[in-house]
Amino acid sequence: MKARVAVLVFPGTNSEMETRDLLVDCGADARIVHWSEAASLQYYDAFVLPGGFAYEDRIRAGAIAAHDAMLDAVIEGAQAGKYVLGICNGAQILLEAGLAPGTGEVRRPTAAFTHNAQGHFICERVLLRRTVAATRCAIAAALPEDVLIPAWAAHGQGRLAAVPSHLEEIDNGDFIVFRYADVAGATDAHFAPQGSALGAAALTNREGNVLAIMPHPERDAWNFNHLDRSEGDDPLAPSGGSVLFESFVTALERR
Amino acid sequence: MNERAYAVELKIPDNEAYTAMRALQRLGVAVARVQRADILVFEREESDEALSALIERDERLFNPNKHRLERLPGAHPRDGEVWVEMLDAARSAPMRRLVGWRLFDHAGNPLGGADLDAACTRLLCNPAIERAIR
Repeated sequence: MKARVAVLVFPGTNSEMETRDLLVDCGADARIVHWSEAASLQYYDAFVLPGGFAYEDRIRAGAIAAHDAMLDAVIEGAQAGKYVLGICNGAQILLEAGLAPGTGEVRRPTAAFTHNAQGHFICERVLLRRTVAATRCAIAAALPEDVLIPAWAAHGQGRLAAVPSHLEEIDNGDFIVFRYADVAGATDAHFAPQGSALGAAALTNREGNVLAIMPHPERDAWNFNHLDRSEGDDPLAPSGGSVLFESFVTALERR
Repeated sequence: MNERAYAVELKIPDNEAYTAMRALQRLGVAVARVQRADILVFEREESDEALSALIERDERLFNPNKHRLERLPGAHPRDGEVWVEMLDAARSAPMRRLVGWRLFDHAGNPLGGADLDAACTRLLCNPAIERAIR
């Protein structure tokens, strides 16, 4: 039986369709669940929080959604070991909910993806490299070694920030699953287009069952997204950023 | 030179303040009304009139169709109010910009004590990137 994955929609979410479609293409039974259907979340094996602007980013990006009834089920599921993937605004929500890096109490954030250093929205194609052991985060465990994942950094608030002592803990504790990389696979803080601390693009929690990733791999995930595709390639075939979703579904199947 | 503070507040319904109120109520905070304002703090020589005019001329700060401008009695939060400032805000900038949240209870009194603390720590301020000024 295929793994059942809930793609959560809050008022203001805008990336649920492509996120659901890619999960389906990668082999999951993925369904969109709206904020009024929180009670149904208990029946799902995993949760994906897609990008957008939940509750219009009121107060702070992700702050209101982190206290929504939908997150009650996500938090409960994460604590029970279910896999949770948050992309862009979904990642901001996971940090506001304290699920990533998960070093404090639930719903008491210890870090944030906040305003870009340049002070405005950016939209850039980026490359991500896993910089922890494959076993550190189950969702990213099935990725090919040294793969570079293409994604789109499309956000006004994608810069990881925390107090310096906590950034050190995040770094030393291998919470940064993906860092921004160049085409040769080198990672360095200056490859982060928005000035993200430690060049971080994605954080996990202590248990490795939660992944909060800022750039959008699902926007670079089918051949039709790639201008350099070959003439005979099926435009609807998954490619590029789909490897992360394939790894996510593989992790679910291995459970 | 004295600091002077101004509040730029919506005179149309403030959906963000309403959302904050509903979220706080869900968290168990006994709040019945929330006011939100952009708080602008200056340390400059100009007169009040000159500073007010400076704000009102800047479309990034003030839109006369939807905002009202108020000179605050001091450069610190009022009763029932918390100001939230980004930790990495430039402290030496000629103007500091904060978000002011003023909370009232069911009797219309400014919220205080444990409820205001809870509102700050549980929703209005993320201490990883912001500081709350009470």
